[in-house]
Amino acid sequence: MRLIIALYFFPLLFASRLPAQANTSAQTAEATVLMLENAWNQAVRLGESKTLQELFVDGLVYIDYDGEIMNKGQYLAHVQKFLLHPEYVVAESMQAHAYGQSVVVTGVYRKKGTKNGQPYALRERFVDTWIQQKGAWVCASSQSTLISH
Amino acid sequence: MGKRAIGWGVLCLLALLAGAQEDARQSTGSKILAVESVWNQAEARGDIKALNLIFDESLVYVDEDGTMLTKAQFFARVKSAGSRPQSLVTPAMNVQIYGGTAIVTGTYHAGGVEKGKPFQRNGRFIDIWVYNNGVWLCVAAQATPISR
Repeated sequence: MRLIIALYFFPLLFASRLPAQANTSAQTAEATVLMLENAWNQAVRLGESKTLQELFVDGLVYIDYDGEIMNKGQYLAHVQKFLLHPEYVVAESMQAHAYGQSVVVTGVYRKKGTKNGQPYALRERFVDTWIQQKGAWVCASSQSTLISH
Repeated sequence: MGKRAIGWGVLCLLALLAGAQEDARQSTGSKILAVESVWNQAEARGDIKALNLIFDESLVYVDEDGTMLTKAQFFARVKSAGSRPQSLVTPAMNVQIYGGTAIVTGTYHAGGVEKGKPFQRNGRFIDIWVYNNGVWLCVAAQATPISR
């Protein structure tokens, strides 16, 4: 199983480490980041904290759907907790917009799981900000808001 | 000049550059936080002209109920006096700068009357700013109510 996971993620991790080229097109940046968003979802489902470590800046700011704010360490610990409780994360839509050395991704997730002992099933809208750091695309902020209408 | 002296010179220069870079970062952070404050005031007044200078055309605005608005839709909402909070306070704000991208995080307290009923709401926000053609413009803004 571990081998399958490693084979699945290897190209994605490789993509995140491609050297930044000055003439990298916005479309390439957007496609790379959308691929990393999918890698993030898979890593959350599988509890792959090593993969997740590589996806975020050390100064990550993560705001969950209930307003809880987490740093990188807290978010990784939070994901590990989910391992105890099966959950699914499905991206209904995702759009990326490149601005030079950053890409902003917006979209909608459907999620099901348990948080603080409470089961939940929800739809949330998210905005993630990715930046290039040492030639790799890494997520610097992520925020979710419940879709309540 | 000996090699050691050149070494010290380079170290001093690097320290000065690092200091200058830190000063520039702080200065940029202060400017962006000042514009955040202008934004709050402009939104409370319904001042579209001022808001137009703050946002990029591609703005994505995610409201507290998960509604996604474009720049035009956000402005239309601000113009409609009934949907504006009468008070909007942001007691805590922090800015992180990554080259030409700045991420502002903070908390807010909003109060007012909606559909004839008074409301008080607390939440967290992230605003994304991008440096383009000599100016910082907000490209994304999102609010999440604090429910725990």
